[in-house]
Amino acid sequence: MKNVPDKNILLFKSCLVSVEYPGIESSTKYVFDKIGVDYHVDRAQTCCTGLGHYSDVFDQFSTTVNGARHFALANKLNRPNMVMMCATCYAINKKVANILNNNEEVRDEVNQVFDDCGYDWMKFNKGDLDSRENIFHIIDIFYSKRKEIAKNIKYDFSDFNIATHHGCHYCKVHYGDTIEGIRNPHIIDDVVNACGVETIGWYDFKRTTCGSGFSQRFVHKKHSLTVTLDKLKSLKENKTNILIHLCPNCHVQFDRYQTYVGDKIGEEFNIVHLNIAQFLALAMGADPYDVVGIQTHTVPVEPILKDLKPLSKDNKDEIIEKVSYKVDLDESEDFNMEADTVKVEVNETN
Amino acid sequence: MVEKFREDSLDLEEYISHNIKSSKPKGLLKCVQCGMCTSVCPAAQHSNYNPRSMVECVLEGDTAVIEDEDIWYCFYCYTCHSICPADNSPCEVNQVLRQIAVDKGIADDHLIPFLGFGDSFLNHGIGGIPENFFPEMKEDIGDDWWDFKTHLDDVRNHLGLDPVFPSEEAIVEVSTILKSCGFEDRINKIRNHHKDED
Ligand code: SF4
Ligand code: SF4
Ligand code: SF4
Ligand code: SF4
Repeated sequence: MKNVPDKNILLFKSCLVSVEYPGIESSTKYVFDKIGVDYHVDRAQTCCTGLGHYSDVFDQFSTTVNGARHFALANKLNRPNMVMMCATCYAINKKVANILNNNEEVRDEVNQVFDDCGYDWMKFNKGDLDSRENIFHIIDIFYSKRKEIAKNIKYDFSDFNIATHHGCHYCKVHYGDTIEGIRNPHIIDDVVNACGVETIGWYDFKRTTCGSGFSQRFVHKKHSLTVTLDKLKSLKENKTNILIHLCPNCHVQFDRYQTYVGDKIGEEFNIVHLNIAQFLALAMGADPYDVVGIQTHTVPVEPILKDLKPLSKDNKDEIIEKVSYKVDLDESEDFNMEADTVKVEVNETN
Repeated sequence: MVEKFREDSLDLEEYISHNIKSSKPKGLLKCVQCGMCTSVCPAAQHSNYNPRSMVECVLEGDTAVIEDEDIWYCFYCYTCHSICPADNSPCEVNQVLRQIAVDKGIADDHLIPFLGFGDSFLNHGIGGIPENFFPEMKEDIGDDWWDFKTHLDDVRNHLGLDPVFPSEEAIVEVSTILKSCGFEDRINKIRNHHKDED
C-alpha cells in the first residue's frame, strides 16, 4: 500500500460539504481525533473551483492559479499533506499539481501572475507539492487506519444492508493513485468492514456516476436523473438500507433527489445516504445532531438510528482480531500483486 | 500551453493534444475507434451523444463537432478515461471542445446559467450552487431544505464549525489573482457578449 500520512495534514474544506452537509466536516474531525490523525483546517483556504470548473466556467489556467495558491498555503503552514473531503477537490488538486510539476511553460505563466500581483510567497517551484505524495482523500486515511477504527467502534450496523457509491472523481480520474480497485472499487467497502459489517459488495451500476454531471442536473434534468434512477433501482433490488458516499456532490444527487425521482415514477426508495465519515462517527457513538449533522439531510436518518444496537464486548474483540488479520494480509506485498491480477476478471456492468 | 484558440490555424487534433487540459497527450492519435468508451458511457445510453464518434470527428479534423449540441450532454464522469485501451481521454477531449466553443463565443447559452460560480468565487472566495437555481431546487427538494439553507450559520455553529466564508484577506488574494490571470475578463466577456446579442 502506498504511504498514507497521518500528520501535517491540511484538511481541505469543500464548499459543498460546507453548505449542504456540514456534518461531513464535523464527523471527519471527530473520527480523525479518535484514530490519531493530526490535522488543521484553515480560514485562508478558499475552494478548488470544482463545480465551476466542470460547468466549463473556469478554464484550466485559472483553476491552476487558484490551486497553486493553496499549495503555497499548505507549505507555508507546514502542512503539505492535503486531504480532501470531496472527490472533485481530490481530482482537481491532483491535476493542478501534475500540471505545475510537469509543464514548465504553464508554471512560469502562473508564477508570472503571482509576480504581477506582488504575491511572491504563492510561487510554485517544481516539486513543492506532489500529487501522489501529498494529495489524498479522507477515505485513504480511513483505509490506512482500519485497525484504529475497529478499536473505536461502539455500535453494530450489521443488521443493515449497506452498499457503497465510489463515484467517479476519486476512482476514475487519477486511477493510478487510487487504493483498492478501479474496475470494482471497494475501498469504502473495506473501511465499512473495519466496523464489523459486510456490505452488499458488487451490484449492477456500482461504478456508474451519480448522474449529477455538474451542469447536467441543472440544465438537462431528465437526462441526469435517469442515470440516478438506474442506480437507485439496482440498489433497491439489492434491498439496500444505507448507501455510503465519499463525495458531497453525489450525496446531494441521491439524498436531495431520491424522493423527487421516486415520485416521478411512482416508486419508493427507502435508502438513507451517509458519507463514510458520518457513518464512522455514528458507529463510534457520535451525537447525530451535534456531530454528524443529520438534521441537514433530506432523507431522514432517524429510522436507522432507532434500530442501532450497542456492540457487545465479545463481538468487538472478534472484529478487532479479524480486521487486524485482514490489514496485515493486505499490507503484505505478495498478496497485493495477486489481488491485482484477480481484479481484472471482475465482471462489470458499467 | 496556455494558448488561445485561433480559428484560422486550427488543427483540432494537435490543438487538443497540446492543450493544458490534456493529461494523456499521446492517447488521442492512438484511438483505434474500438467504441469501448461509448459502450460504458452513461451519456451515450441516454442521449445522442457518442464519445467514439466525437473522437472520430476530432481525428478527421471535422470542426463542426465544436458546434454539435450533443457534446453538452457528457457527464464528465471519466469512465471512458479510466478504460480506454489506447490511453485516450474522450472526457478531456470533450472538455477542450467545449472550451473552444467558449472561446469562439458560441457557448454563451451553456455558460450563462453557471456564471454565478465565478461571481461567487470573485466576491466570496468559494463556489457553491448559483442562486438562480434555488427556486427550482426548493420546488423539487422541499421546504425543509430551504429552511436549512436559511439557517446554515446556526447549524455550522452548532456543529462547532467556522463560518462558511474564508478570511477577508484570503478573499482579497483570490480575487486579485483571478483578475490578474484573466478569469474576470473571461466571465465578463461572456456576459457582455450575451447581452449584445439580445
Ligand atoms: S470540488 Fe466542489 S465541493 Fe469541492 S471545494 Fe471544489 S467546488 Fe467545492
Ligand atoms: S458520482 Fe457524480 S458527483 Fe460523485 S464523483 Fe462522480 S460525477 Fe462527481
Ligand atoms: S477513445 Fe479509446 S475507447 Fe474510445 S474508441 Fe478510441 S480507443 Fe476506443
Ligand atoms: S466522461 Fe463523458 S464521454 Fe466519458 S463516459 Fe462519462 S459521460 Fe461518457
